[in-house]
Formats: sequence, structure tokens, C-alpha cells
Amino acid sequence: MDAALHALNRFGLGARIGERQRITDPKAWLRRQLDGGPPVIQAPPAATPAAVTAAIRAFRGPARQPPQQRQQLRRALVEIGAQESIAALTMRVTSDRPFVERLVAFWSNHLCVSTAAKVLVVPLAGAYEREAIRPHVLGRFEELVLASAKHPAMLVYLDNFQSIGPGSRGAQRGRGRRGLNENYARELMELHTLGVNGGYTQQDVQELAKILTGWTVGGLQSGGPRLRGSASAEAEIGFGFLDLLHEPGTRTVLGVKYADAGVEQGERVIRDLCRHPSTATFVATKLVTHFVADDPPPAAVDRIARVFRTTGGDLRAVSAALIDLPEGWADGPKKFRTPQDWLVAVLRAVDAPAVNAMTPPVLRQLRHPLWAPQSPKGFGDTMSDWADPDSLLNRAELARTLARRLRDARLDAAALLDVIDAGSAGSLRTLLKDTAIPAGDRVALAIAGPAFQWR
Amino acid sequence: MTPQAPWRPSRRTFVRNMCIGGLATFGAPLVSFAQVRQSGRFVFVLLRGGFDGLAAVVPYGDPAYQSLRGTLAFDEGELVALNDVFGLAPGLAPLKELWDHRELVVIHAMAIPYRTRSHFDGQAILETGIDRPAGAADGWLNRLLQVMPGQRSGIAIASGLPRSMSGTFDVQTWSPTQLGAVDDDYLGRLATLYRGDSALHGRFEAAMQQQETVGEEPMAGQNARRGGIAPLMRAAARILRQETGPNIAEVEFSGWDTHANQGLAGGALDRLLGQLAEGLVTLRTEMGPAWSNTTVVVMTEFGRTARPNGTRGTDHGTAGAGFLLGPRIARSRVFADWPGLGDGALFEGRDVKPTLDTRAVLKAAIAGTFDLTPGQADRVFPSSEAVRGAYDLMG
Repeated sequence: MDAALHALNRFGLGARIGERQRITDPKAWLRRQLDGGPPVIQAPPAATPAAVTAAIRAFRGPARQPPQQRQQLRRALVEIGAQESIAALTMRVTSDRPFVERLVAFWSNHLCVSTAAKVLVVPLAGAYEREAIRPHVLGRFEELVLASAKHPAMLVYLDNFQSIGPGSRGAQRGRGRRGLNENYARELMELHTLGVNGGYTQQDVQELAKILTGWTVGGLQSGGPRLRGSASAEAEIGFGFLDLLHEPGTRTVLGVKYADAGVEQGERVIRDLCRHPSTATFVATKLVTHFVADDPPPAAVDRIARVFRTTGGDLRAVSAALIDLPEGWADGPKKFRTPQDWLVAVLRAVDAPAVNAMTPPVLRQLRHPLWAPQSPKGFGDTMSDWADPDSLLNRAELARTLARRLRDARLDAAALLDVIDAGSAGSLRTLLKDTAIPAGDRVALAIAGPAFQWR
Repeated sequence: MTPQAPWRPSRRTFVRNMCIGGLATFGAPLVSFAQVRQSGRFVFVLLRGGFDGLAAVVPYGDPAYQSLRGTLAFDEGELVALNDVFGLAPGLAPLKELWDHRELVVIHAMAIPYRTRSHFDGQAILETGIDRPAGAADGWLNRLLQVMPGQRSGIAIASGLPRSMSGTFDVQTWSPTQLGAVDDDYLGRLATLYRGDSALHGRFEAAMQQQETVGEEPMAGQNARRGGIAPLMRAAARILRQETGPNIAEVEFSGWDTHANQGLAGGALDRLLGQLAEGLVTLRTEMGPAWSNTTVVVMTEFGRTARPNGTRGTDHGTAGAGFLLGPRIARSRVFADWPGLGDGALFEGRDVKPTLDTRAVLKAAIAGTFDLTPGQADRVFPSSEAVRGAYDLMG
């Protein structure tokens, strides 16, 4: 195994042609990427906070609008999502710190929102990744989870923005039209921190849900009744704590009592959830599954969990520990590339300067649309999630379309051998050099062939 | 670039030629065509978007119907009457043949066990088969595969693994080719490469085997969409009817979220109903002799408001209609504890009141198709013991 190629494919997002020769010390190359803050993506023109606020308010405007106008307002939201998708994917394809970008994608999926769930998430999902996930992937886990908890995209996606404490002043005034919503509280424990077997009860879910009442989104509409009392009506969309909706009282979660302290009550319990031993194990298991093997070796999970615990969830230290796992470099089972990984690896291989508007639909067709998993669990991360027969055929067909476009770039198919683990690709080598095969087909064979499906 | 050849063998002939001997190497349990012995076949048709039960199965005999439904009310003469109260919308007329053959149960006032008007939550409840939104639950069809005895496998005819099929049991997916036919030389070379990959080889061969089974007829993505659900049903039938094919298929049909201009006879929704009926009839025809062991359930995440809205459509509601089809049902009938549309009868003053839990129908359907005990059926739907299967629907 070529360690440089392994670092590029397993930990990075796919090798560029000629890149592996420039890496002399693969682990040092990966470690260097962890220096400094994560790369920043600026909001695309249609997705500035002011523009998103305006588009969402227009969409939520009068309840009865002619269908055509509603379509148009919906399209504006979709356009924001499209620009965000292209910006995010372009970063993945062009970044010189691909390990960090892989971490961004990992955490974004771990704490996923989904545009498939609610149209309001469509214009917010890109901002969520840029603002809540990306800045924290090398910081502390609890800051990451808190940023996620307070982002409008998550508050909307898992309904916390309209969860109302049954004993709150707002509930008494609101004639019981809405009440407590446990959705976010449950997923926060089940999927974001402790894991499903992390030792919490339904009672804990309810208590946590009550603690988090009042965590809502301000600015969704101009001066709507639900938002009175938060920031000024003309403020941009953002997190707001609304005491009016907050369930008063001391609550107990996992045996710990939390005195009512407004928003701080929730912040404290989230920090405690992040520091819980179950969280370390749950997060370590997911990370090792992502970087080592579908069946994560227990020793590697233990090591990562220990680093997570002893550093207080320092994700820079945890990421560095992933590099140092011997299991991550062993000649064992490989990781099957998810559709997003696969397409990004193709585009990186040929050093594409950006992605175009066709890329997000292609990901949809490959069943791996950006920010649109079917459930809060996020997309799966193992071979059994992605290597079904129909998906392999889908890649084979798509590879030909891609190859037709790449052919314009006068790409030599044989050059792609540089980005593929050639140990398993003897017959591929022969085919790619066979000039009797159309050049486009050879490129397609390189990227649709089995060797390219692994990282 | 080589000029395009004037004729190329279809993928089907190609696959047939190259798959000789390939079957033996298929990786079980992903594709264990050769081992399945269950004769029952079950198709779950999921109508995504909230299908308007009152527009499909019309309670024309309900005294409140005409006034409540207003601009969206059918005239009695347009309907296919099933009894004194209910008639099928004109678009569903092809289902009359199944009705006459004692193969159609028409269900009304049915709802999922959780009150929500959210597509997302509603579909999650219907697809997971549990009674509250829960993030990570397996799909109920996947749980069925886990619970039912004998050799079994499932396939989703969908452009992604749907929630209802997701879970620990490995299932297959099939969707229409969207990119046009692929050159056979290319696929042949690719197959050679895959033969060198022990983990993926069986899966790639299985993909081509499926492709051969289904054939290449009007399957290119655009056509499939234009043709409604019928091409998908045809594909499902071709896969399911094989003696050793999968026993369970999920087929999806979206476009039911009719907030505006849903129309009457010949209108937008009625055309969609026509496609649904055509799809069901196609499935019945294409299954051939295997139809005798086939059961189909058609369901949606929620019904729609009883009254039209301001844009000549309907909004998200609660109870709605569904269908149970196949020769294994006891007899054709309308199955509904009809709550009525009169004053005070509507749920929250706006929707058809639910009087039947979707799980009661699903339990009966799977038990009758796969000879499950009520206990086994209960295990497919966790914490549902209180909801007794409507077992007398099945013969």
C-alpha cells in the first residue's frame, strides 16, 4: 500500500493526479491540516443573512397566496439552497485541507438537518454547515453541539422552535394550540450525544424537552405574535430565547438536577450530555467506523473514546488521534465510498476548479443529496448502505456521462491510475492503456471500476 | 472518438450472454434468488404527499357530502358506485374489474396512529410502523423481513432506499435507468473488473441480472415519470413474479399534495388516480399466475381537509382512504367505520375523523399473505398489541 495515496483517499477526499508524489510524510501531511481554524466559506450572494431573512419572510407571508406566487417564493428558497450547495461542494473539491473537509462533512452528517423534511430548512442548511458545524470541527465537541442546538436550521428541522412549555406563560395565553415537542430533545440524546443505548429514559427526554422550551427562532416574520418579546421584529433570522415559552422549574436529567436559569439551564445540560461517558463511546464508534472500518475495531474505539474523554471533547486532539490509529493504516477492509465521496473524488482527481449547477442533481440521482437525509440519523456510512446493486449500476452509467465531459479536458485515462490503489487494479491497468477502447470509455472504466469505489 | 455504431445489442441480450454461470457467485443474503421458497408476494404502494381520500373514494351517499365538498363535489352519475354510500372517482374506474373479481377492499376513515399534518412526520410514522416520531427506527417492511420465517428478500422500486425498507435486513433497490442505455462493451469490461473484487462482484452481477429481468422497455427516467406508476409496477411485477424472486416490494408514487386546482373528472387529481389505477391493473396483469399469491396495499401518510381551500384544492388533513387488493382477500367490500361528514363529525372540525388504524390493515395483509400468526404481525409493529389486525379482511 502506498501510504501517501492511502492518506489522500482514506483521510482526505481523494487524490489528485500527481499529488501523492508530493507527499513525503503522509501522517505529517494530515497533521498539518489540523493547524489553524477550519477554512471559512463566505455566504453566497443569495444567502446573506439579510437575503435569507427576506426570502423566508416573503415565503411565510400571507397564508393564502395564488399558487403561482407561492411557487415563485419557494423557488427563491431553492435558489439559496442551490448556491449554498455549490459553495460547499466547491470547497470539498478544491480544498488543500481535505482532511478537515472530510471532518466537516462527517460532523454535518452526525448533527444533520434535512431539507427533505421542511421547506424552511432548504435556505438554512448551507448556513448551518458554514456557521454551526464548520467553525467547530477542530474545537470542543460541546461548542459544536451547542452551535447546532442554537442554529435556526436545527431549531426548525427538529421542531424545537415551536415547542412550548405546558406551564409557560405562553401556553396559558395560547389556548393550547401548540405544546411541548420532544423531537429535538430525543434526537439530541439518541443521535447527537449519548446514543440510543446511552442510558437515558423517556422521562429524561421529557425533562430535557421542557428545559429546551423557549429555544426558538427570531426574525421568521415581521412582528408576528409568536416572536414578540424576542429581538426586534426586523432582526435577521437567528436564535432567540423566549422566556414566555419556557417551562419554569427545576428539572432532572440523568439524575442531575438543573435549576431554572433560563437559557443557561439548557446550555448546562447540553454540556453535561456532551461530557457523558456514553457520548465519548458513541462518537468514537462513529468516527472509527468512518475512518477505519464498517466494523469498528474495539481497541481503536477505546483509544479514541479515551482521547475524547481526557481532552474534554477536544476535536483537534481527537482528529489527530485518528491519524495515529494503526488500524487506520492496516491492509484490512477498506471503506466504500459514499456517492458524495465518489463524485468528489472524481472531480478532485481531475483537479476540477469548481462544481457546477449539475452536481447537486447528480448527487440526488445517486441517492445522496447534500443536506437531505431521510431521517435525523443522517446518511449511512457503511458499505451495506451504499453498495446495493442498483447503485453500482447507477455509478457505472453516470461515469460514462462524466467521462464524456472530462474527455473535453483531454484527460488521459491511464493517468488516473495515479489516484487509484493499483495493488488491486492489475486488469484495470491493462484496460486503461488499451487504445482500442474509446478514450471516454477508459475514463469511465477508471472511475466506475471497483478500485475507485474504495477509499 | 470512435463513431457510434449503428446498432448495438441491448443491455438485456448482453446481460443474458454474460450472466451465464454468474448466478452461482451471487453474494447471499443480498441476492439469494435461488433460495427463496415463500410463495406469497406483498407490494406496499406508498402514495407520498397526502392523497385525498374524499376525492378518490367518494362518500356520495353521505347527506353532508355535497354541501361540505362544494366545488370539489362529484355528481353521483360520474362515479363507479360500490354501495349506497361510496363510489370510486372516475379515474379509478379500471379498479371495477378487481372489485368484480372479489379482489378489492376499499378502505376509508383510516389514519396512521399519530396525529400530525406534517408530511415528514406522517411518512415517518407510516414507514416505521411505530406510533410516534422516532429518529432512528427501522422501516416496517424491513422489520417484516426480519420477523417472517423462511427465505425472503425485499426490493424497493424507488429512487432511493425508502424509510419503510431501511433497516438491518439487507434489501435491494431498483429504479429506472435515468441516463439512457449503456453500451454493452463498456458494461462487459466493467463486469470483468468487478470479477476481481470479491466484495463487490456479486452485487454488480446482481445489478445486471435485475436489469435483465426488468428489460429495457419504456424505462428511461423521463418516460417513467410521464407514464406515472405503471412502468414501475411492470418492473415490480417482473421482479416479483419469478419463482425465486423477492417477496416484498415497495413502490412509491408521489404528487398527491394537491393544495390547488385538484379538479373533478378529468382534472389533475383524477388523472393521477387514473395512473394509479392503471398501475395496479398493470401489476395484476404482469404478475401472471403469481398474482394468485399476491397482496397489494395502497396507503398514504394522511388524508386531506374535508372542505376545499381557497385555491380549489385541499390542505393536509387526517383520515383518508386506502386499498387492499389481491386474490387472497376474503371478498370485495368497503371497509370503513364511517364517521360521517355532518356537523360535529369532523376531526377538529376539518378532517375526516380516523376510525381505523393503518396497522390493523397492514397486520391483516401480511399475516394473510405470509401465514403469520397475530403475534408475529404484532412484532412487525412495536407496541401495537392493542391494535388488533383486521384479520377477517383476508381469506
